[in-house]
Amino acid sequence: MKRIGVFICHCGINIAGTVDVKRVAEALKDYPGVVLATDYMYMCSDPGQSLIRQSIKEQNLEGVVVAACSPAMHEVTFRKASAQAGLNPYQTEIANIREQVSWVHQDDKEAATRKAIEHIKTIVEKVKYNESLIPLSLSLVKKALVIGGGIAGLQAAIDIATAGYPVVLVERSDRLGGHVGKLSGVYVNFNAARDLLESKLQAVQENPRIKVFLETEVEELGGYVGNFTAKLKHRGDNGGEPTFSEHTFGAVIVATGHSLRPLSKFGEYGGGRYPNVIDALTFERMLAPDGPTGGEIRRPSDGQVPRQVVFVQCAGSRDPEHHMPYCSKICCMYTAKQAALYRQRVPDGQAYVFYIDIRSQGRDYEEFVQSAMTEHDVLYVRGKVARLYEEDGKVIAWGADTLTGKPVEVQADLAVLATAVMPAEGAVELAQRLRIATDEHGFFSEAHPKLRPVESLTAGIFLAGTAQAPKDIPETVAQASAAAAKVLSLFSQRELVAEPTIAYVDEELCSGCGLCIPACPYQARAMHPWKHKAIVNEALCQGCGACVVACPNKACKLRNLTPSHVLAMMDAYLAEV
Amino acid sequence: MAEDRAPITRVLIIGAGIAGIQAALDIANSGYEVVLVEKEPSIGGRMLQLSETFPTLDCAQCILTPRTVEAGHHERIRLMTFSEVIAITGEIGHFTATVQRKPASVNWDVCTGCGLCQEKCPTKVASPFDRAMGKRKAIYTLSPQAVPNKPVIDREACTWFTRGKCRLCEKVCPVHAIDYEQQATTTQVEVGAVIIATGYTLYGLENLGEYGYGKIPDVVDGLAFERLLSASGPTAGKVRRPSDGKEPKQVVFIQCAGSRAPETAMPYCSKICCMYTAKHAMLYKHRVHDGTAYVFYIDVRAAGKRYEEFYHRATEEDRVIYVRGKVARVFRDGDQVVVWGSDTLSGASVEVAADMVVLAPAMVPHPETQRLAEMLGIPANEYGFLLPLDDNILPVETTRPGVFLAGAVTSPKDIPETVAQASAAAAKVLSLFAQWSGVPQAMETPVGAEAS
Repeated sequence: MKRIGVFICHCGINIAGTVDVKRVAEALKDYPGVVLATDYMYMCSDPGQSLIRQSIKEQNLEGVVVAACSPAMHEVTFRKASAQAGLNPYQTEIANIREQVSWVHQDDKEAATRKAIEHIKTIVEKVKYNESLIPLSLSLVKKALVIGGGIAGLQAAIDIATAGYPVVLVERSDRLGGHVGKLSGVYVNFNAARDLLESKLQAVQENPRIKVFLETEVEELGGYVGNFTAKLKHRGDNGGEPTFSEHTFGAVIVATGHSLRPLSKFGEYGGGRYPNVIDALTFERMLAPDGPTGGEIRRPSDGQVPRQVVFVQCAGSRDPEHHMPYCSKICCMYTAKQAALYRQRVPDGQAYVFYIDIRSQGRDYEEFVQSAMTEHDVLYVRGKVARLYEEDGKVIAWGADTLTGKPVEVQADLAVLATAVMPAEGAVELAQRLRIATDEHGFFSEAHPKLRPVESLTAGIFLAGTAQAPKDIPETVAQASAAAAKVLSLFSQRELVAEPTIAYVDEELCSGCGLCIPACPYQARAMHPWKHKAIVNEALCQGCGACVVACPNKACKLRNLTPSHVLAMMDAYLAEV
Repeated sequence: MAEDRAPITRVLIIGAGIAGIQAALDIANSGYEVVLVEKEPSIGGRMLQLSETFPTLDCAQCILTPRTVEAGHHERIRLMTFSEVIAITGEIGHFTATVQRKPASVNWDVCTGCGLCQEKCPTKVASPFDRAMGKRKAIYTLSPQAVPNKPVIDREACTWFTRGKCRLCEKVCPVHAIDYEQQATTTQVEVGAVIIATGYTLYGLENLGEYGYGKIPDVVDGLAFERLLSASGPTAGKVRRPSDGKEPKQVVFIQCAGSRAPETAMPYCSKICCMYTAKHAMLYKHRVHDGTAYVFYIDVRAAGKRYEEFYHRATEEDRVIYVRGKVARVFRDGDQVVVWGSDTLSGASVEVAADMVVLAPAMVPHPETQRLAEMLGIPANEYGFLLPLDDNILPVETTRPGVFLAGAVTSPKDIPETVAQASAAAAKVLSLFAQWSGVPQAMETPVGAEAS
């Protein structure tokens, strides 16, 4: 029988304050297979780890159980310690008697002690069946694909290429720059967006490691982290047939940006029928020196300079009943900027801003909005515009001032809608091709909203910019560099190492029914081309066990968690203490 | 600068909150060495003080401790806690930083972190980590999951240092790690790049007389309320008011305490308060089902992924009462705290007789950050937030080549934004180091050639 050592950690008083660790050690001493059961104040400390290493050597241990905190905390620590003493790390397991025992049973020490004993016995049984495993190594192509040529994609490409790695940047339209290229000046300093963009465009053009494909989309993406294969579709010349090219990449950054909710969706604001009701991006073009009016503000119907302009915030945002429930984040600031610029260019004009809450969160943002109100005399009205309609060449804005409780009517020459930020067209279809998740609106889902904001749930695919959620330029640029950091981290490895505790197929038992293929959430299953047996893509498999449940013949198993493991663990748990 | 010396591919990160830790892990996991300096005895920063995080209500410790542990055990991260950078000279590629370590009065090389000294220490003082909502011993770690899990002696509280009596910790320590004679030490570290991630502190609410903070015990700040909500906090997650330990049935949350107040305090918005206040009110209602929560606000700023929806959940599902208006005065009446304000929507004045008041104080930079900025010649704004090279397109770069910024040191920001910025700063450092070490120079061939 395998010679197993059990090491019980006090975790100071975290465990020992509730669990009688001496009694636990005593109870495990004579358990079949256990040749050593001992306790120590802090197993994770250096003396604790050397106790384990020493015992492995002196007692010729073939398996180790550390009864301590969650494996999320110290599994790596103890497996490393075992490996240093010459024991295969996959022969070391954690019995979690802190989070799962002492912390949740502080009121009942007797029951907690018994539960700890049962818990450790089950893990001893597991270790008895554990095989020695070797981590998988996967090759790594150190070249990145960046999808989207807006400010996010440009920044990510620059950071990766500056570090020395090749990048392919694909852009669907016929030019780089995305939305930033269409803006006039940026808040809060009115710097010309064009100039800011130009520095990035130049960096991209000058870097020999960045290859740009315009009018190109990702048709297919196969493979896995380190080894993606992408089929790119290039638009044909003069409406001709598209051409395709294939590439391999180690990592992908998705920076496809956003679109705006179209005016046709706003029945309450004329649904796009009124020429003098425009969206904010159209107004940006009017303000931009390289725009259609050369920076002059002219209303579309007759080219007159508008004397009264109504800015409608939250057009389609924060409106779960009719439009999108979320806040589009950037509108409060650009509306203040647009209203201020309007007042600068039309000094005798009047600007009204209808808002729900003013969201000016960023350095100098609050002050910027204040200056729009005080220095530029923009009139802020707290309330929603219920309707916009045309009458005698005017746009009538009908709403309520929620501060006075009175209805408000403004006869304007032009109405500018801050329309909701939406995912880019085709985002959901792209997500399906890339096998990444989206939220209910079509924004790409990050791996964790707090701590993994630029990673998708698919290894090797990262997110940047408004494709993930509405955000402004500084945040987008930071996120793009963050996504680049993840790629640089990945590319710094010599090869990719993956956990070997994944699924395998017992060919003797597999009937080739194929039920495991749709059951796998990671597309790690396929049918062998001629053997008619299921096969596992070891790079994609995450060891979740869905195939084990789906397999009617018990041919699918997880390494070191086979039915033999589980049944032995159950027997130990259900036996009388 | 001596051109013949190769630039050093090692980074100094100042501040080991979530920003510093994230940047450290990104860089260390890419194969480069990191020196991570933290002034507290252990790493984790503000985030470790939080209960649950918006908008998912993930337990902050549960998501952060795997990272503190990873940073603590990383073979390429050198932790220098209880330490501060007192001088820094040189330039990109060759900075020399002088790091001063405060005396812990405990020999950490010997200490096993068994915790016996803390258990036996007879002296209790208000715990700054718990924002005085609980007590700690004179010899202490910040939390049971502290990384490193080694204690320090608070010399202002320890009776051996104040009155020449006790030495109990010395007697009980099984490995003789206690060293009352320990002196401050200085170490020089040579690095090629620097990331400043010194985070934020809270505005001194004592300056705002109208709220009664510091005078009325049941007026607390948001961070103190976090500790009351925290399962590992002084009340094990039960909401108890400081004055008499009773469960408060009426709680008033006041936003913008010192923010958006150009006349009296800070003119800027602190960005995170709207969301954490919605969370506080929500978590309070989850714990005290028959309680009532009021929130006084100017604007509700819920701009972020699923933030608006979270705020709606607070008002609709958890029935938190939002009052748009500023509070004029908070005063004590018997065992209650009375809040006087106005509702700017109805124009009526409002009076709430509450059991407890929670203020959302303005975020301000650490005063020490100013000194760092001066040593490095990095500009700061009038409030002390450090300025990046360009707010829009160079958000983590500074006027000083090789020095980068991450997190709340540049302006108030929430965790996801901080984490993204930290990784962004890491990207800049990785880019430099890759160029200096010439690792991927084998890839000189222009890419895309195979496409055509």
